[in-house]
Amino acid sequence: MTSPTPLVLDRVSKRFAGHTAVDQLSLSVPTGVVYGLLGPNGAGKTTTIRMIMDILQPDDGTVRLFGQPSGGRAHAERIGYLPEERGLYRKMRVLDVLVFLAEMKGMDRRQARDRAGEWLERLGLAQWAPRPIDELSKGMQQKVQFISTILHDPDLVVLDEPFSGLDPVNTQTMKDIVLDLHRRGKTILFSTHIMEQAEKLCDQLCIIAQGRKLVDGPLGEIKRTHGGHHLVIGFDGNAGGAARVFADETLVNKVDNYGQYAELELAPGADAQRILSELVASGARLSRFELQEASLHKIFIDLVGPDARNAEGREPRA
Amino acid sequence: MRRVESPVRKIWAVVRREFVERVRRRWFWIMALVGPLFFGAVFVLPSVLARGGGVRQIVVVDGTAGPLGRRITDSLNATRAFDAVVVRAGGRVLDSLTTEVEEKRLSGFLILTDATVDSGKAEYRGSNVSGLATVGALRRVVGDAVSAARLERAGVDPRIVAEARVPLHLATHPIARGGATAQTGEQSFSLAYFMGIILYTAILLYGINVMSSVLEEKTTRIVEVLVSSVRPFELMVGKVVGVGAVSILQFLIWGVGGRLLLARHGSPLAGGDATNGEEIFQVPHVSGGTLAIFMAYFLGGFFLYSAMFAAVGAISSTEQEARQAQQPVAWLLVLSFVSMFALLNDPNSTLAISLSLVPLSAPIAMPVRWAAGNIPGYEIALSLAILVVSIVGVTWIAARIYRVGILMTGKRPSIRELARWVRA
Repeated sequence: MTSPTPLVLDRVSKRFAGHTAVDQLSLSVPTGVVYGLLGPNGAGKTTTIRMIMDILQPDDGTVRLFGQPSGGRAHAERIGYLPEERGLYRKMRVLDVLVFLAEMKGMDRRQARDRAGEWLERLGLAQWAPRPIDELSKGMQQKVQFISTILHDPDLVVLDEPFSGLDPVNTQTMKDIVLDLHRRGKTILFSTHIMEQAEKLCDQLCIIAQGRKLVDGPLGEIKRTHGGHHLVIGFDGNAGGAARVFADETLVNKVDNYGQYAELELAPGADAQRILSELVASGARLSRFELQEASLHKIFIDLVGPDARNAEGREPRA
Repeated sequence: MRRVESPVRKIWAVVRREFVERVRRRWFWIMALVGPLFFGAVFVLPSVLARGGGVRQIVVVDGTAGPLGRRITDSLNATRAFDAVVVRAGGRVLDSLTTEVEEKRLSGFLILTDATVDSGKAEYRGSNVSGLATVGALRRVVGDAVSAARLERAGVDPRIVAEARVPLHLATHPIARGGATAQTGEQSFSLAYFMGIILYTAILLYGINVMSSVLEEKTTRIVEVLVSSVRPFELMVGKVVGVGAVSILQFLIWGVGGRLLLARHGSPLAGGDATNGEEIFQVPHVSGGTLAIFMAYFLGGFFLYSAMFAAVGAISSTEQEARQAQQPVAWLLVLSFVSMFALLNDPNSTLAISLSLVPLSAPIAMPVRWAAGNIPGYEIALSLAILVVSIVGVTWIAARIYRVGILMTGKRPSIRELARWVRA
């Protein structure tokens, strides 16, 4: 028996006075993946997550969690949520905050107490358990907040900009936690506008801008279909007839030629090996010839950057 | 297998958090100790101020031909509130006495002339003319002496006059709950006054507690995590109930502490020099019925007002904003409190009855009326029914504002926006 897909959005929309924050967004997060929800600031990531979490109600469309057409509240004990803006009860003791938030997730008090102790131990905060939150450093408070998100061992973890505002040490802690959850078969949805993180962590992703989906799917597939192919070429003193080869529109889409160094974007369907043989035939001496996959960052900029507004940014919705 | 979750468990967790966190704070225990002192002060101060301090040194300047000056001086000394000396009028007596008063060796002096008996006119010059108790006592003593003198002049036997002057003690016992109570009118008055002050203070204090709690969750954004697991309405109800439980514990501490104190030392208020008949405030006996009325209306008022305070907390983004936004709500309460004084004068006027039925003022007005006099049972039932219905209605509206407000940041919504939230 296969478990139902943890999260499916079906043409979900949310409008606020004057603008549409999320527009007919559909996506599907399969069990056990790390799923990235990517988009520039104001793209509708947080609104989407709030609808998943039942904090906001969609105006149209449905949110299905674990196969049921209900928002996060009905499944609170199976979902961990870390909101973008963080905070804890300042005067409350660390352990009490953790137990209380776990109780909100439907966990038993005693069990929550034990598990919170284990986590505090694991993240080096054990001696802070009886101290009030406001005696902790910001970094320690962030750790307490991670713990509160996953203390009840949720099947689906929703993290809104989990790395924003973290110092490098905590960023590492957070990544370790995410990877550990991933290894244990948990499903993770996180939003970010930092592409390098998404590229390292995500199995699948969805890029949205202005509330609309631009692309979604497995990372590798997106890179193949949207990245195009890039070629980095270095010349060893003699560029030969390279300029003529680069001008062939059946081979090269775009060129950035620095004389001794050039970056090419291959024309659709073009074979890099043909460029290599033509360059050698033209008498050029090569010190470097490297086929590169576009970075997620580049794909992202191509899709949502200023050049994309009129072209791909308005692609039909899937 | 997963457990079946009932919202009651989560609401209970919210209630417990509010309760435990508050009772743990130093503030709660300071209130437990300072509260009674504060209420005691509010309670005792008016009578202390009215009585003024100590024995007044006065001189009676006697310009009469008869024994009037002598008699008034004796009567004044008999009250033990005055240390009076009589001198004959004439020469530069007034000037030297004025100097004495200015140099604070004398409280003042009373000038009597032959015209006093005929016209009833006398003059008092003192450093503290407005001391109500002083003036009242003087007026009574002089008045008595003047009427005695007039009677004697008319040929009435001095012995009969003396007999007629036996002071009257009017004992007032309100008739309530089917018969005269052992309580005196003074006690009823002070009980009503006392309950009014406590109700007002406690509803305001704990209402604002609810508001701060809402605001804390909003400003720290914990509320996002909370409402993703519990309904906003459940969260709000849990909060109000939790804070309400704290207030009940506070009352219990005050009640038990007060009882122990009174049992040990007797009444600190009614004792001492309260025998002179000037005492307005006396420690009342609090019956079970009164306690029940008090708690019912306190809880009713607290639920009604704290729902409003919760909504105020939800629409504010900072402490400062909240302080401003809570003013209209606080004013409703102040108004009910101020109207208490009108109620005390005439607990059965149309105004008093209306105020004890209108839900916003009923939590203070009804207990005050109850303490001050006889109220038909149906009025209490009606007033409670209206209050309960209003609590449901106000909570419903407040919850709708709360639900939207707690997630909203930035500018405070206008009245029109609030109306839209409620309708949505």
